[in-house]
Amino acid sequence: MNVGVAHSDSNPTHSYFNSKGIWLTYILLVFGVHLLLLSVPFFSVAVAWTLTNVLHDVCMFVMLHVTKGTPWETSDQGTSRTETQWEQIDYGKQFTATKKFLTTVPVVLFFLASFYSRYDKYHFVVNAGVLALNLIPKLPQFHKVRLFGINKY
Amino acid sequence: MAIIPATWDMYDLIQGVLQAPWYHIVFEVALVFLILKIYISQSFTPDKTLLTEKEKDILVEEWQPEPLAPDVPDDHPILQSMEKYCIEGLNGKYIKVNGKLCINMATFNFLGMVGKKELEERAVKALRVYGVGSCGPRGFYGTMDVHLELEDELAKFMNCEEAILYSYGFATIASAIPAYSKRGDIIFADENVGFAIQKGLIASRSHIKWFRHNDMEHLESLLIEQSKVDKKNPKKAKVTRRFIVVEGLYLNTGKICPLPKLVELKWKYKVRIFLEETMSFGVLGDTGRGVTEHFDINPDQIDLIAGSLENAIASVGGFCCGKKFIIDHQRLSGLGYCFSASQPPMLAAAAIESLHILKEQPRLLVDLRENCEKVHEKLSNLSSIKIFGDAISPIKHLYLTEPASDREFDLRTLENVVDYAMNEGVALTVARYLDPEENNLMPPSIRLTVNCDLTDEEINKVVQVISSGFREVLKKLSSVDMSSPLDSVEQGDGEQRASR
Repeated sequence: MNVGVAHSDSNPTHSYFNSKGIWLTYILLVFGVHLLLLSVPFFSVAVAWTLTNVLHDVCMFVMLHVTKGTPWETSDQGTSRTETQWEQIDYGKQFTATKKFLTTVPVVLFFLASFYSRYDKYHFVVNAGVLALNLIPKLPQFHKVRLFGINKY
Repeated sequence: MAIIPATWDMYDLIQGVLQAPWYHIVFEVALVFLILKIYISQSFTPDKTLLTEKEKDILVEEWQPEPLAPDVPDDHPILQSMEKYCIEGLNGKYIKVNGKLCINMATFNFLGMVGKKELEERAVKALRVYGVGSCGPRGFYGTMDVHLELEDELAKFMNCEEAILYSYGFATIASAIPAYSKRGDIIFADENVGFAIQKGLIASRSHIKWFRHNDMEHLESLLIEQSKVDKKNPKKAKVTRRFIVVEGLYLNTGKICPLPKLVELKWKYKVRIFLEETMSFGVLGDTGRGVTEHFDINPDQIDLIAGSLENAIASVGGFCCGKKFIIDHQRLSGLGYCFSASQPPMLAAAAIESLHILKEQPRLLVDLRENCEKVHEKLSNLSSIKIFGDAISPIKHLYLTEPASDREFDLRTLENVVDYAMNEGVALTVARYLDPEENNLMPPSIRLTVNCDLTDEEINKVVQVISSGFREVLKKLSSVDMSSPLDSVEQGDGEQRASR
């Protein structure tokens, strides 16, 4: 991630998810947040898991599928300005290892949340809703597609 | 919610799995299949066309290598004029063409700085200290104290916070525009801007809207149109930058831009102005500060001013000046600044000296303006030519009053006039363009430039030679006009060859 250095990638968003240890860090972070929520006295286990799932999925949705461009000043003449972070990862390639990993995490979280909420229907609606937010835009068919022009500019 | 107790034990949870509703199980199974499908999918790049072996073979078969450099035909105009005109010595007020001393009416040396003793001495002194080249870009061992001094002097001279130096005048604006304006932005540009600006506009990849030359009503209508579009889509408008790009004094038309109106439009429609002063720096204004001084406008009102040190200043390079935060952006984003070696220090030193002379002798500018007006007045009396350009502009374009429909033909007529004048001791030039690449190609013209050192006798001589030149050439044309215009050209060419 050498920004602005000769022979570096012009846009580090392409590759930062391939850095060493970042998947583990990511999982630990989610787990840490879950522990924090569990330690709140009036949250039941079910609520804590659903909250973890909702928080994670909303954050992921905003960070990967809503935010466009880069936090860095890149020399790519603004090509990345119209692309979401997800679309920039791995130069827009589909089904790469990073993208497979990032798709798996919300699904696994959904399974866990469902399990710990004892397959309650209210929890199911909330969890499945936020899961859909994260799975649909990840599909290759939705690459650079802006439904109803939402978030086009 | 109420049905879920605060805590669970594992047994209960496992019981929960067994009692899970059918829709939940269907959903989870679907998810598992989705994940499995994603895992076994090969990675691919979307919207990339894949060719079959056969198609590849066809492409390889069809491919014809192109020569690295195209063949130059023997009758290429540049080769011809290289043969035709051989210049010796300094390109100053007088110029020696083919061994004949001519008054130079084709140089951008408006203030007669070329060949000044003080400049040469200063340059030689700097040469003894620094050597010839600077050996690197500004950010990579190429910064010498003279560069910093020159930047400082320029900023002070232009009453701006900061200035940045480029090592090549053409690259200045061609780097400055793409440093700020990117894909998706909008640039309103005058259709007759110089070639360097046109290249900068292309490099910026922005959406370019051309307005008619110096036509402020047209520009305003474009701005109104744009603001309507913006109102419809405020989200897009929020991330779109808008610029007006104009030249202070147009090289291709000799006109001065209507800056007060531009500034008014800038504030009204929230656009930024880039002002290119390659021709006007050191020429317009009481002390040579360019168009801003000419119209008495505070340079703070202009977002970016770019100028050249290659014309009136008689050195090499260019500069941009403006607010500190604007200029600093170019130190990493101005490609011409980052990636080319800095000016040779001795030329920077010469430019400093040149600026000092300009500051000490504002008389030069008064002389220049008087000469421009004199030449303009005298040439406007001639009936055979149409003079284009403002009276106080040192660049004047002479057009034929009755142009033919064929561009080449007119060009040759004008070249004949230039040859005639060269024989009489006045060096003129036809305005040259890269015809296929020019945005708005002007009709062929003789580009006359005025400098401050011309005396009244010299001006009279120039005007007299131009007038008789046009008379002679047009007379010769009309005498053979009845047969065919091409014959006359051949005849004219034959005569030139004979005279050489």
